[in-house]
Amino acid sequence: MNLFKAELRRILRRRLTMVFGILALAGLIAMAGIMWAISSTGPSEAALAEAQAEADAWNAENPDFQDCVDDPDYFTESEYYTWAVDDPEYAELTHVERCETYVGMSAESYIWTYTFSFEEEGPFLLIGAVVVAGLIMMMLASSAIGAEWSSGGMSNLMVWHPNRMQLWAAKLGAALAVCAAAVVALTALGFGLLILTAAVRGDVGNLDAQWWEETLEYLLRSGILALGMTTLGASLAMLGRHTAIAGGVIAGYLIVGDLVVRMTTMALPVPYPERLSLYTWVTAWITGRVELYDWQESGMDMNPDVMVITWGDAGVMLGAIVLLFGALATWSFKRRDAA
Amino acid sequence: MPSIIEISGLRKTYRRSFRQPHNALDGLDLEVAAGQVHGFLGPNGSGKTTTLRALLGLIRVDGGTMRIFGEEVPHRLPQVVSRIGAVVESPQFFKHFSGRLTLQLLAESAGIPKERVEAVLEQVGLRDAAKASVKGYSLGMRQRLAVAQALLKQPQLLILDEPANGLDPAGIHHMRELLQWLAHEQGVTVVVSSHLLSEVQQLCDSMTIVSRGRRIVDGSVAEIIAGHSGASLSVRFPDIASLSEAAEALTAAKPGVGAIVERDRLIVTGAPEAAWVTQTLAEAGIYLSELVTQTKNLESVFLELTGTAPMPGQTVQIGGSVAVPETAAPIEVPVTVAVDGRPEAEEAQR
Repeated sequence: MNLFKAELRRILRRRLTMVFGILALAGLIAMAGIMWAISSTGPSEAALAEAQAEADAWNAENPDFQDCVDDPDYFTESEYYTWAVDDPEYAELTHVERCETYVGMSAESYIWTYTFSFEEEGPFLLIGAVVVAGLIMMMLASSAIGAEWSSGGMSNLMVWHPNRMQLWAAKLGAALAVCAAAVVALTALGFGLLILTAAVRGDVGNLDAQWWEETLEYLLRSGILALGMTTLGASLAMLGRHTAIAGGVIAGYLIVGDLVVRMTTMALPVPYPERLSLYTWVTAWITGRVELYDWQESGMDMNPDVMVITWGDAGVMLGAIVLLFGALATWSFKRRDAA
Repeated sequence: MPSIIEISGLRKTYRRSFRQPHNALDGLDLEVAAGQVHGFLGPNGSGKTTTLRALLGLIRVDGGTMRIFGEEVPHRLPQVVSRIGAVVESPQFFKHFSGRLTLQLLAESAGIPKERVEAVLEQVGLRDAAKASVKGYSLGMRQRLAVAQALLKQPQLLILDEPANGLDPAGIHHMRELLQWLAHEQGVTVVVSSHLLSEVQQLCDSMTIVSRGRRIVDGSVAEIIAGHSGASLSVRFPDIASLSEAAEALTAAKPGVGAIVERDRLIVTGAPEAAWVTQTLAEAGIYLSELVTQTKNLESVFLELTGTAPMPGQTVQIGGSVAVPETAAPIEVPVTVAVDGRPEAEEAQR
């Protein structure tokens, strides 16, 4: 326990932890700030009047619009406007409004408004924040282990604590604890900032029991993903014994590896090529379900074969990857000489 | 007197792809008695650091046995590690942490009271620099910090690899006094690996010299030096012409006595004592102007034993030290040690 507490303190006292913490906080505030800036509950009376004037001016110079206004059967007589008649909103509009909407211009054509809906968009923004927190923790954990190796501090610690498994458990446990705390803190802060933004500048929406259940499921799985990323970062650094090696492997996969997988699958007739990409499994894990379509086998007959990846499948796949690297790191730390 | 460290037949071979295997340790033996400052010497690449790393569980060995406090290591190392303080190779720390925080984290990890941190900072002379980050420390200050962390546990065994590395003369003097105080006043057994032979000569009670992964000699420092110094005397005369006459008189006076003219002096070997030389020469009617007993220092003994003495026009390469045959027994030198407060007893080392 003493060792775990010391390792926890060691991570928290690192300069990189402070830098990443500030960056994560700034990113969260920036995200809420952007939503605050672009969201509104609707245009002002003056903006609406100005847009209407612009639309009227344009319509006045449009002969088709005048024809439409003058002919009450304009839409029903012409076969070109069947699509407009079939529009669900058609019945709710007056004739002039129909002309503005389907032939000419309306005030909405000259004004853009965006209303942030916390109910619809909030969960995805929070998931994004948690995944970014996971990436940050992956870098932080790999740095905490890698820097110890490259500085010689690890050998020194091993002289103090010759039980290597205990040492590895303490280091990994401390990194996971920091990750969990960071995810919870960032999610709570993000939730507060976004719901405040929605309440003042947008629409909170109906946060019923089903919404809470789904959102908490998403966030819980995203949090577990962040913990897995932290374990992966620490394991890679333990294997490579240098932060740069862990960072290189991660960046290499994110930038080049997935691209190579995609290019290879384009050249080879593999069914469901997206399943070879880690992003597909990560998406399935977070959203709960991903459907892949095999257009090659179906002969483009609009009824392709479907492969469904559920969060359970994705959990097994991603868990196996983390477990594999974790086991390799554990074996390596236990067996290899401290150079 | 129980041995604190017992190493027998230690072997370590480094195997690398596309390279010849390298025997870093080739059946090394080492014994360190309690309450002594023990020097562990050898040329570069002779296996000193490898031995210390193996002893502390940092590397695996291919054969041999190691015991600390009677416990087999590395298997039982967790049971005895709280009694061991160690610095192996150049100590490195997180450069953005202060000296105090570095020690506090180590102390916390082992459940050592915080007060010890201040005590060891004071002990190694880093009290005033404790707040500064390690980044700004000189090599000597880092060395002091490393020794401080080794002292945190109040160890019964202190293993220090090149403790004087980077220290200024005052620092070396302070370190020597500290280590001798720990060994002789506090009963701590200190093992020091160093290349500063003059320092080892002043600091250590006993020592082991290794070459190519094997022990060449062990025993008390004074005895080892004396054992390899011989009994040579340097004699000068007012008249250089007397040299050959004196050499003849001395060699004729006693069988086994040798006398070689070396420039303006005579080197006499095998003489029973200095007084015999003066008497013999006086009886022959030759009067000397200077007679000096030639003693070797640790450096010359070390160079002789390890075969690393520089030759004119040649450079001794790493790994070019003397090889000890597998069947050869190490040179035995008696060592004088105090046993349980009784009068000093002489104990023959293996």
